[in-house]
Amino acid sequence: MITRRLHYEMIKHVGGPFLMELQGLSKRLRGRREPRPDSPFGPPLESVGKLKDLMTRHYLEGRYADGAVPVAWVTSGFPVELLRALGFHSVYPENHAALCGVQRLTPEYSDAAEKVGYSRSLCSYARTDIGGVLLDKTPAGRLPRPDLLACCTNICQTVLYWYRCLAEHFGVPLVLIDTPFVYGDSAGHHQQYVKDQLEELMAVAERISGRRVDPARLLEVARLAYEGTLLWGECLAESTHRPAPWTGFDGFFHIAPIVALRGGAECNAYYRHLVDELRYRVGRGIGGIKEERYRLLWDNLPIWFNVRDMSTLLAENRFNIVVTTYTNAWAEAGKRMNPSDPINSAAQSYTYVILNEDLDRRLELMSRLAAEYQVDGALLHSDRSCKPYSIGQVDLRDKLADLAGVKSLLLEADHNDQRAYSTEQGNTRLQAFMEGFA
Amino acid sequence: MRKDYIRDQRSRHGRKVLAVLPIQYPKELLTAMDVVAVEVWGPPGVPRGPGAGRLQAYVCAVARNAVAFVQAGGAQDVDGFLYPHPCDSIQGLATLIPDFGGADKPALHYLNPKGGPRPSSQRYLVAELRDLVDKIGGLFGEPLAPGRLEWAIGLHREIDGLRLRLLEDRRADLPDRALYGLLRRGEWLWPEDHLAELKEAAAGLDEAGAGAAKPKGVPLLVTGIVPEPVTIFDRLSDMGAYVAADDYAAVGRRVVRKPLVVKDDPMETLAWLMFAHPPCPSRAVSLAERLDHLSRLVHRSGAAGVVIHTVKFCEPELFDVAGIKEHFGAAGLPVLFLESELEGELGGQTVTRLEAFVEMVAQRRKS
Repeated sequence: MITRRLHYEMIKHVGGPFLMELQGLSKRLRGRREPRPDSPFGPPLESVGKLKDLMTRHYLEGRYADGAVPVAWVTSGFPVELLRALGFHSVYPENHAALCGVQRLTPEYSDAAEKVGYSRSLCSYARTDIGGVLLDKTPAGRLPRPDLLACCTNICQTVLYWYRCLAEHFGVPLVLIDTPFVYGDSAGHHQQYVKDQLEELMAVAERISGRRVDPARLLEVARLAYEGTLLWGECLAESTHRPAPWTGFDGFFHIAPIVALRGGAECNAYYRHLVDELRYRVGRGIGGIKEERYRLLWDNLPIWFNVRDMSTLLAENRFNIVVTTYTNAWAEAGKRMNPSDPINSAAQSYTYVILNEDLDRRLELMSRLAAEYQVDGALLHSDRSCKPYSIGQVDLRDKLADLAGVKSLLLEADHNDQRAYSTEQGNTRLQAFMEGFA
Repeated sequence: MRKDYIRDQRSRHGRKVLAVLPIQYPKELLTAMDVVAVEVWGPPGVPRGPGAGRLQAYVCAVARNAVAFVQAGGAQDVDGFLYPHPCDSIQGLATLIPDFGGADKPALHYLNPKGGPRPSSQRYLVAELRDLVDKIGGLFGEPLAPGRLEWAIGLHREIDGLRLRLLEDRRADLPDRALYGLLRRGEWLWPEDHLAELKEAAAGLDEAGAGAAKPKGVPLLVTGIVPEPVTIFDRLSDMGAYVAADDYAAVGRRVVRKPLVVKDDPMETLAWLMFAHPPCPSRAVSLAERLDHLSRLVHRSGAAGVVIHTVKFCEPELFDVAGIKEHFGAAGLPVLFLESELEGELGGQTVTRLEAFVEMVAQRRKS
């Protein structure tokens, strides 16, 4: 335990930073890679390098975390502030699955899961993650074994079934924050239920970590989480300018810190840097794409394995995705946060999440975003792997067009499994959609 | 017939009628408030009409068919809808229809807690049940009368007792198709009417006595969501197999097997009952608990094989398949996994797989 802790602290405070410095030096010596002259994109964001460093360090620390500090595997919408205040190292299987998706590893990992009986009809994040666990493989080098699985149903019920499987596999406790779906407004007893579960979570997490929650530390983490959420919101809001200084596809990647490092100072430092860069670009009219003629809203998760191709196709046709409901969800949470009252604040902000709210509210949100970001059209990714995000999209598409005057396209795909997507068919639909704007 | 019955319940008995989506809901509460629950499990067949395309093809057929059915006016005779919360698909439906249209009726929601009983979820469930009482009372103008809930709990316990007996004491003169037809009438009959039918069937068993013929053939445990298409029972019978133990969410998982724990407050008794149902993945109880329950069913019934018969894209069920296969595989019990989409008839390929499975299990029994 002491040796593991020493390793972990060494990596965290010395090894990781040193490695990042080394990588930075190497990059500086290589010189900046200029984009191809015919590239439809604007100059790349300088912050990308820092993002890579930040996330690489997170995964690097993770390799040495188990046995050194308590480790929790948590869902992206979990109120992680409580765990962070107790010194947990958190691993985000969704974030990790996305990493696998970008690297097109899902078929290999999913095959392993399918072989033991997990259907291909299940969420491809879950299949990727479970397959990775079964194969003991990860592009991140190594994931620390969890001491605790922490799941919140505010994004879907799928995560609960998925984490039940992980709990069986690892033989560790699963704590659940069950957030009743919000039809209209969250009822008083629904809020009380979430608060009660947060108290129960605290007791379990304290037992596993062998520590008591320090109220001052919890307040500090809650403050940092709130500040991080606001900063992320500021980054996104820069795209209300014309041209937008980055693309929605960039946002899909830059969301990683607010998901995985929320409540940490390093997350906020990163977003301060990013927002400064975005403002600089806005001030100089530097766009995410060279020529932004049409602005689009994206609904649902990205198609991780196809981000490059799709963003290029859109950019070549002068279309930029300037806002996405997915990345906006982490900014939206800030409106209900009150860092001076972490438990009540968490009950509120983690219940009112886009996927835990009714379709009326979703339509209202999409219409508002469409107006604020002055979009000309919307792409609704009908995601085979994400039922809660996709149910209602047929109506949303029609209503966005009828009520908000936003031309909309439903694009059937999958967020992680390229076997469930036909690139040719997808591109054909996209091209036909774009032609409609001429 | 069902429509006529519903109209009769409203006009002759003055009862209100709620169309109820799957799976778990406090039926005792509805009975206590003189509300007939008519469950909407699809219905089976190809969804047609203007609502057929509102949900993508990768959403489960129970939800897809329900939208089409409701929007086509299939539930015109009810006074409102009750949407429980078993999964993301029904949850989506519970906002799609009320918010974006499809049925011009009030919508009530019942959000059952997930996971096993915890202090937080037990308190919450009691509050949620009280909230539902208020909502129903507000909708129909009739509050819950004193003593009615205790009466309804007792009534449903009697029904459960008979349903359990019919499921476990299998007789040749009540074959699968007839048994399931009888049990599933409980999805829409007023409970007292259902009880009368169950009593009649049970009396038939009593008359036959202990010497009555038992079903012959390969005994199977069937677990899944809903026994559709019903012709699966005919096919099983043709193949020389029968359902010795049932764990369908629409049937066996509804039957509370534990002795009733009566609390001072009937609402707490009802909350206890909701947690006492056999383990269902849509409530997200632990897999270990479900496997334990299934093992007991196998042991008690002597089932020689397990058929997992689920609806395609049903995530709660699909996540358990690997664990069930592993568990019974290790115990040397063959497992067959079948998916259906509420078709009117089993597909040829499915029948072939079922046949091969039954033959294999029969051969194993002989050897």
